Amino acid sequence: MTQEQTIQATLHILNKSPSHPRFATCLAALHEGDTLALAENAVLAVTDSTAGLPRNCVALGADLEARGLAGNPNVQIISYGDLVRLTAEHSRTVSW
Amino acid sequence: MSPGLSYTLVITGAPWSSQAPQTALAFAQELIAAGHHIDRVFLYGEGVHLASALSTPPSDEPDWPGQWADFLADNQTPGVACIASALRRGIVDQGEQARYELSANNLRQPYQIAGLGEWVEGNLKSDRVIYFHGSH
Amino acid sequence: MTTLIVIDQAPYGSWSGREALDMVFSLAAFDQPAALLFIGAGVNWLRKSQDAGGIGQKTVEKNLAAAPVFGVEQILAEQSACERFRLGEGDRLNGVELIPSVRDALDRFERIVFAG
Repeated sequence: MTQEQTIQATLHILNKSPSHPRFATCLAALHEGDTLALAENAVLAVTDSTAGLPRNCVALGADLEARGLAGNPNVQIISYGDLVRLTAEHSRTVSW
Repeated sequence: MSPGLSYTLVITGAPWSSQAPQTALAFAQELIAAGHHIDRVFLYGEGVHLASALSTPPSDEPDWPGQWADFLADNQTPGVACIASALRRGIVDQGEQARYELSANNLRQPYQIAGLGEWVEGNLKSDRVIYFHGSH
Repeated sequence: MTTLIVIDQAPYGSWSGREALDMVFSLAAFDQPAALLFIGAGVNWLRKSQDAGGIGQKTVEKNLAAAPVFGVEQILAEQSACERFRLGEGDRLNGVELIPSVRDALDRFERIVFAG
């Protein structure tokens, strides 16, 4: 791979809490067109006033509900089946 | 339905110290429901604790190792625990018990113990390799 | 298709970085292209003169120094993390390429695998 090559849209599955260092690293690595999927502790980002989430951001509904969170108008709520569909649609997935 | 994709799932987070096995199981169930194929589930690092036959959570708590083993058996999906990760953490099959002259073995059915070559093969042959990490 | 293994955990405090190194060496053993990226506290793996005998561990410095011999194509390290942890050129293992942006480094690889 070279830097000149166009990188295809990537799915980023992030399961770390917003206070974990990997959370900020992930957000800084996103490109326009990438999708960020929040899972497990990462869904706390929807209620974190300091988390700057990207436009294409989804969150697992089961993880939101478990934590008593309704979501956030900018974050689409998805099921595990939707997550499967996202991994099938993206040839490149990074689990953070 | 379009022909499904083939997946290798890699679990590196342990039950009880992470949510990884739960997320991975919900994901795996939906994969099958969507018509995809799971080539193998590979347990690595802390993830090998999922393959302990001796995990015995209280009866009113979810039994992640039991649920995972049932899923693998029901779908005839190979479950593989990395041998180096497993031996370090005291997850041992009959063969390794004999080789190291250990007092017991505890690898849960239907898991197998094998090397990282299984993971490399997943990288080469599966359409997708998806990781389920711990939370630390 | 080169696989990039990313290590962001500090050395010695847990086994996850070592197990990520095992992954990279395994790829190399099967003739699969592999590279390593150290970010955050993970750059401390790259310090010279580690001596882990006192904590009952083996140092990984020799393994890392031998990585190119085993076929690991590149060892990359996040520049800002090296600065933060005072890992100057003379303090680092030889052959490490500094990268100014983690995002740009990830873009160079098709497959990205984080240490668990």
